[in-house]
Amino acid sequence: MPYVVKRPERDIWEQSYIPETVRGMGVTLRHFFRNVIGRRDTVTILYPEVQRPYPPRFRGLHRLTQRDDGSPRCTACMCCQTACPAECIHIVAGSYPDGHPLAFVEKYPAEFWIDELRCVFCGLCVEACPCDAIRMDTGLHARPVEARPHLMYERNLLLSITDAKGDVLTANPRKK
Amino acid sequence: MTTFFVVATAAKLVLFLVGIITCGALMVWVERRMSAMIQDRIGPVRANAGPFRLWGLVHIAADGLKMMIKEDFIPRRADKLLHALAPMLAIFPVLVTFAVVPFGPTIDFGHLGSVNHLGPLFEGRWATTLQVAQVDVGLLFVLAIAGTGVVGAVIAGAASDNRYSLLGSLRAASQLVSYEVTLGLSLVGCVLVFGTLRLEDMVLWQHHHTWGVVVQPLGFVLFLAAAIAESKRTPFDLPEGESEIVAGYFVEYSGMKFAAFYLGELMEIGVLACFLAVFFFGGWDVPFLRADGIHLSLPMLGAKFWAMPHWSVVLLQLGAFGLKVCGLIFLQMAIRWTLPRMRYDQLMELGWKAILPLSLANVAVTAVVLHALR
Amino acid sequence: MPKLTIDGREIEVEAGVTLIEAARRMGIKTPHFCWHPELSVAANCRMCLVEIEKNPKLQPACQIPAAEGMVVHTENPRVREARRAIMEYLLLNHPVDCPICDQSGECKLQDYYMLYDLKSSRLASEEDKVRKRKHVPFGPHVVYDAERCVMCTRCVRFCAEYVKDPMLCEVHRGDHSEIDVSPDRTLEHGYSLMTAHICPVGALTSRDFRFQCRVWFLKAAETICPGCATGCSACLDHNRGRAFRLRPRVNNAVNRCWLCDDGVLSYRFHNDHRLCSPSLGRGNPQPASWEDALSEAAAALGKTPKAERAAVLSAERTCEENWALIVFAREALGIERFFLAARPDGTADQRLRSADKNPNRAGVRLMLGAEPEPMTALLEAATAGRIRAVIALGAEASAAGVEPSTGLLRLGTVVSIAERTGTLPDAAHVRLPCGSWAQSAGTFVNAKGMAQEFGRAMPLGDGLLDVHEILARLARRLDLSFPYKTAAEVRTAVAGRLPEAGAAGGAP
Ligand code: SF4
Ligand code: SF4
Ligand code: SF4
Ligand code: FES
Repeated sequence: MPYVVKRPERDIWEQSYIPETVRGMGVTLRHFFRNVIGRRDTVTILYPEVQRPYPPRFRGLHRLTQRDDGSPRCTACMCCQTACPAECIHIVAGSYPDGHPLAFVEKYPAEFWIDELRCVFCGLCVEACPCDAIRMDTGLHARPVEARPHLMYERNLLLSITDAKGDVLTANPRKK
Repeated sequence: MTTFFVVATAAKLVLFLVGIITCGALMVWVERRMSAMIQDRIGPVRANAGPFRLWGLVHIAADGLKMMIKEDFIPRRADKLLHALAPMLAIFPVLVTFAVVPFGPTIDFGHLGSVNHLGPLFEGRWATTLQVAQVDVGLLFVLAIAGTGVVGAVIAGAASDNRYSLLGSLRAASQLVSYEVTLGLSLVGCVLVFGTLRLEDMVLWQHHHTWGVVVQPLGFVLFLAAAIAESKRTPFDLPEGESEIVAGYFVEYSGMKFAAFYLGELMEIGVLACFLAVFFFGGWDVPFLRADGIHLSLPMLGAKFWAMPHWSVVLLQLGAFGLKVCGLIFLQMAIRWTLPRMRYDQLMELGWKAILPLSLANVAVTAVVLHALR
Repeated sequence: MPKLTIDGREIEVEAGVTLIEAARRMGIKTPHFCWHPELSVAANCRMCLVEIEKNPKLQPACQIPAAEGMVVHTENPRVREARRAIMEYLLLNHPVDCPICDQSGECKLQDYYMLYDLKSSRLASEEDKVRKRKHVPFGPHVVYDAERCVMCTRCVRFCAEYVKDPMLCEVHRGDHSEIDVSPDRTLEHGYSLMTAHICPVGALTSRDFRFQCRVWFLKAAETICPGCATGCSACLDHNRGRAFRLRPRVNNAVNRCWLCDDGVLSYRFHNDHRLCSPSLGRGNPQPASWEDALSEAAAALGKTPKAERAAVLSAERTCEENWALIVFAREALGIERFFLAARPDGTADQRLRSADKNPNRAGVRLMLGAEPEPMTALLEAATAGRIRAVIALGAEASAAGVEPSTGLLRLGTVVSIAERTGTLPDAAHVRLPCGSWAQSAGTFVNAKGMAQEFGRAMPLGDGLLDVHEILARLARRLDLSFPYKTAAEVRTAVAGRLPEAGAAGGAP
């Protein structure tokens, strides 16, 4: 059975465009004058001078947390690398040499790369980490850079990034 | 031809050219900021000269500088000559039509201080009419030159070796040709009423009688619609149609050539505002202001007259013209930021099935009424 | 033959077969730690407990032989509860350091926890856990972590029963028991990596593989160990073009379910010293395009008189590759003299290891239909100037008592087809890179004369070509005929010359 599409009925005034155009211009001009006089409807936030406070759960750039002794909490378990849907984490594990004070932990990330350009900021790496070693509580954006490699964040840089309060330790201390 | 005539014409030319181009540049700013305000934004205000941001005005300079140092890209298989010619052809008619715009009455440098009893247009040793060229067929000249506007767009599209450009120029051609007819016809009513083709005489008629918009309201609306279509601006900006054909006929232009197209379009708004003012809003006419001073005849108070020196009358009238033009530019921009782009079939239907018959009817009715009044 | 019922289904097995084995034949997987099909029964982990009707207590399936009329339940609530309890005990002192544990991903504790336990520890505090030694080097290849050990004694029994060198033993008692190496010994008997392989948890791990790659990133492919003439069946674990380890694959005719240490590590033949692109020039090789390299090789071979050409076959490479070279040499180049390049001999033992460290010496012999001449003969002929041009397959060529490279350097032309650097490619004028054994498909004939076919375990890398393809392109450049276009054609030609295929690997 054919289906009849109902077209909207337009009377002659609407068809003539003129009153409708005038009405539309009324709207436009109302906005114009309200914004010229006192910016009453303006919604623009003049970033970066004015910044909106981020919600506490805002997922920013990553950081790697440190233990109290400054060593990375990360044990190179690769859970984050496994969970990452963007495949932007690359870890090379190293093992502490015999006799090292942390030899009982055995494993640490010799290299830890995050390609922040590929990252989709889903936070799955943070969820996956069993050691609370990777966090996205920095409150930082991926800022514009001049070359792609500048957003390839490397282990030591990640370790040095602090959380929004300036802390390099985990915000969720647990026993080792 | 006296030396004074040559000097005066040259001065008017220079004044006008500089004025127009500055205006075009300023309009970039107006357009951006106005659209921003309309859309509840702020618009570009970041460019600065040291501490001065001037509400974003510095962006004009920044843009100009950028355009100048930007790579002038020419597609490999483009026709180099035509590609370079097109922007000039696009901007040329705009500049030329300005020449016949009567932007003020005659000014006599010999009698600036005295009261002028000769009427607005007269001849004298030190007098010159504030219009670059007084052309007998002024209106036809305007229409003829405006008609060449399409050439630039078509050549730009054809020479770019880009199928989007080509589509854009095809659209431009058919649209411009369609609306060309109406553009002329909608003015025939005015011509009938004013009884002249000389633009300065049209203004004079309105000066003595009443504004064109009063006697030709339909003509005004039709002309406005057709003229916006001629200048290829929203809601008739199908030749650009960035959502479907990227940017239409000037996709392949960059740097100063692009700027020429862009400025051309903006200056066209200015020209259009001038012509709207001349045809429908009395040009430089200020109500109650005659060449010798203010004549007020109010029903209650009776006729009053204040004499004014020549210079102040001319200045007032010049200012009035400027104000009208600004207002009409504002009107066009407001239309642009109000209406969405039309569909192609709607455009053609509007042109051929609505505006054209209406303008014909307008001509017929005007003729009949005029005949009856005679 | 006793007939019994397991989980409602009847099965008949030979006398003496244990319940776990009977269940396995029915496709029922009984969880277990200490049982291993190749080792004696210890029945100490109690993970395999099943319910046998008319039997008041649960019984270990790994130890109880099937008996007539038994009715066994392997998966009822009582059994599941018992398993949960066992898991709780096993995990009581376990450090749960999965993030740093290399077994994670293939650990039975993880698997069974997910299947049967899924509870958090009831231990009041982490501090109450018994602390034991971690990171104890047992030998050159193996490290031990006592906290993760479940004391199943598989490793102990493996050393005692298979290697017959009982160097591992349990020490201490109760919570504190752990495994240790006998005083003054190190876990070093040629099969030490098998202890790490059979350890069901992360207590014994391979030093070589540790931390290199998480096992869930690995892709496994069946292959044959290229380490020696025994030709053990194996699985190759690899990821992104890099090989990580070999694991034994069950083949009761050859290696049952073991590999020697050298075998496990022979994945390195794929990773190390690879030739990645064709190169030209002796001594100071310069990378070249395939076009240039093939033209150069063709020109050099073509200009030498037929009688002065020779071919070197390789005991490292498959029958198919050797056959392709034999055909190319005989038919296209008119070569009559064939020599054999091989790795030097090594140690042998009574279990798996052969002294011949080449996987396919017997295969080459079969392909040629005669004994190829040894490398020493080639060096003599080269010195005497009777042979000037050689086309050689394979990387390594040892010749007893002679430094091969100096002899090879007397040859006017050496065209080497190899996957990695070695004696032959180093002395070559033109190096044409082919895939490693893992990147090729073919057949090895082992020392016992069993032909074992294997497939391509890893994709052929960029810039590499199969040997038959290289030869076909060479023939085209020389305007000579070469009968094979595809690997399948070579395979068909070779099939007739091989003995019956050896018993292939069964279920692991
Ligand atoms: S936030 Fe998501 S995409 Fe980004 S690194 Fe983590 S897991 Fe990967
Ligand atoms: S950051 Fe966390 S999840 Fe990622 S490797 Fe390190 S410990 Fe594992
Ligand atoms: S080290 Fe492994 S194989 Fe040996 S007893 Fe412990 S858990 Fe079992
Ligand atoms: S497998 Fe049966 S008790 Fe360990």
